Amino acid sequence: MSQQKTKRGEIDLPVRLKDSKRQKTGVYFRKKVGWLFIIVSIIAITIFNFYPMVQAFLLSFQSGMGANLEYVGFDNWRRLFGDPTFIAALTNTSIYLLIQVPLMIVLALFFSVLLNDPNLKFRGFFRIAIFLPCVTSLVAYSVIFKYLFGVDGIINLFLLNFGIISEAINFLADPVWAKVVIILAITWRWTGYNMIFYLAALQNVDKSIYEAARMDGANAIQQFFQITVPMLKPIILFTSITSTIGTLQIFDEVVNITNGGPGNATLSISQYIYNLSFEYTPDFGYASTVSYVIVILVIILSIIQFRVAGEKK
Amino acid sequence: MKKFYLMLMLVVGMVVLAACSSGDEEASEDSGSEGSSSVDTITAWAWDPAFNIAALEKAKEAYDGDGEYEVEVIENAQDDIIQKLNTGLSSGTTKGMPNIVLIEDYRAQSFLQAYPDSFYPLTDVINSEDFAEYKIATTSYDGEQYGVPFDTGVAGLYVRTDYLEEAGYTVEDVTNITWDEYIEIGKSVKEATGKNMLTMDPNDLAPIRMMIQTNGSWYVDEDGSTPNIAENETLVKAFETYKKMMEADITKVVSDWSQFVGAFNSGDVASVPTGNWITPSVKQAAEQSGQWAVVPMPRLDMDGAVNASNLGGSSWYVLNVDGKEEAADFMLNTFGSNPDLYQTLVKDIGAIGTYSAAAEGDAFAAEDEFFNGQTIIADFSKWTEEIPGVNYGLHTYAIEDILVTGMQDYLNGTELETVLENVQGQAEAQLK
Repeated sequence: MSQQKTKRGEIDLPVRLKDSKRQKTGVYFRKKVGWLFIIVSIIAITIFNFYPMVQAFLLSFQSGMGANLEYVGFDNWRRLFGDPTFIAALTNTSIYLLIQVPLMIVLALFFSVLLNDPNLKFRGFFRIAIFLPCVTSLVAYSVIFKYLFGVDGIINLFLLNFGIISEAINFLADPVWAKVVIILAITWRWTGYNMIFYLAALQNVDKSIYEAARMDGANAIQQFFQITVPMLKPIILFTSITSTIGTLQIFDEVVNITNGGPGNATLSISQYIYNLSFEYTPDFGYASTVSYVIVILVIILSIIQFRVAGEKK
Repeated sequence: MKKFYLMLMLVVGMVVLAACSSGDEEASEDSGSEGSSSVDTITAWAWDPAFNIAALEKAKEAYDGDGEYEVEVIENAQDDIIQKLNTGLSSGTTKGMPNIVLIEDYRAQSFLQAYPDSFYPLTDVINSEDFAEYKIATTSYDGEQYGVPFDTGVAGLYVRTDYLEEAGYTVEDVTNITWDEYIEIGKSVKEATGKNMLTMDPNDLAPIRMMIQTNGSWYVDEDGSTPNIAENETLVKAFETYKKMMEADITKVVSDWSQFVGAFNSGDVASVPTGNWITPSVKQAAEQSGQWAVVPMPRLDMDGAVNASNLGGSSWYVLNVDGKEEAADFMLNTFGSNPDLYQTLVKDIGAIGTYSAAAEGDAFAAEDEFFNGQTIIADFSKWTEEIPGVNYGLHTYAIEDILVTGMQDYLNGTELETVLENVQGQAEAQLK
């Protein structure tokens, strides 16, 4: 076929037409090759993403010890709603989410605006200092937090020495304090990470907007709320969705700082999944049901966030 | 473009790898079912280099059978072993699985029942009568013996003799006592020395486990799976005792292992009621040499309870994969029938096995300077024989996670009856 075409082209077609023919063949070829490349990734994504997801979904309708699984219909889902340990884990995770994510987003915004000020000295140093926590190992910093907040830890020593408290607080053995410690830990670790997104976005905001605002007599706070926040809206949406997903999956911090205790007061959904799979007599079916709860939550929360932040479109 | 090709190669590589590994899996399953192939190397997984790994190394040295194979000892954390076994066995692949694995007694039944046919029966290999009786219930299933009983986990009460003396007590006064008497002594010790009697971790119900086993009871019925909480008088008594202890203000609350060890190493507590595996940690505080003694575990104040209990403890298992014959041969020749090995274990690493014939050797009668010349190994072995056998069943840790919350409620003032009924209900709903 192609030979014929070339031949015909060579013989009597005008130059422009010949070129366009060649282009067409090129597009055709490129399309084909493009598909080839995409097919590879489609296969890879199917094998490594969709297949496990479908398998896990099927697994969520099965139950049994270890390898002895059988289909039980919606039993796992029914069991879920009457399972106080799951409800405790869900409550704890929701508390982390509701307190930590807004707190962290606000902090990250605050720091990024401060560190974006061109008149600030040692800007690089401060940026690194705040970003540094998120390159540390999850386990390492969790262990450090655990020791900071131990009964003989430096926080207690500090509070005792300054006479703020009269008796050491056992932070990690108290249901409320233990949650506070975990929220502090994840906020410390991830604020810098989100700050980097805001910093990057702020670089793209035209300085003349601020200049104009200043001309009109807007003060710093007005500038922040009237210009910075609206300009960063898409980034705020992005960071809140990624942070929501991250916090819903929280595992390392809880396991290493409190191991879910005292008495399940800090247990997260992910740790419960781990426990169901490896700590107790393994029930992988029920564990995947619980995993799917995270999936559903992520979808719902992302939709809500899109609606709230993307309303003007 | 370069990047793109690299990516492409990576993805193709992964696909090919995945395809290959599934092929291997089928191959190994085939040969596994025939069960006649022999291997050159068998692998063993265990945790704790100072204890179990060291024991395996000693076993390798002690082996004098006819088998011609290498034994490769691989150290893993216990949690990792559980994870790897669970993922490996449930996916049905035997690739990468060890031949010999150490499993904690509390978890043994769940593995044996969750993965039937994955373990190699040793009924005809070892003589189960040679081992402490209480270990047999946990290491056998459905009439077959699967485990080679190893670490006893026998518990004892480690006491600071100098603190007791200050409060006017002798070692005899704390020997063979009940928990109630223990609390009274604790109060006097605190008054005299200002030291707490023991540490407590609100997240860890090990004391409850040890208490109920003194009366031959457990969280589940004898079938190993029906929760036995609400109607369990022993458990009620244990909960009451636990609360009494908390309210007597004789406990130092800790939240992890290092705080627990730190408390007795720094002299903050007057006693440590726990498994014998704590001995090396107690001895870490060399300056406290001569100030410690070990006495039998306090018992619950009720009829039938004895001054002997257990905490932890583990046994060896052979997986039903290629090399199982060799692994069984290794087990028989070492931990299964070699009293001399147990002498070495006691002498060199302080590991007390549960092989009955070993208890008569010299090493078991050795005096320990740290414990004021007490023959602690002999004492521990003696108590081992008195431990009431219980079927730990399938759900020790699952139930305990529910119980921990129940305990918090109880300590905060909820009626015990209500608490235990709640726990029973939850456990029944969850452990079908």
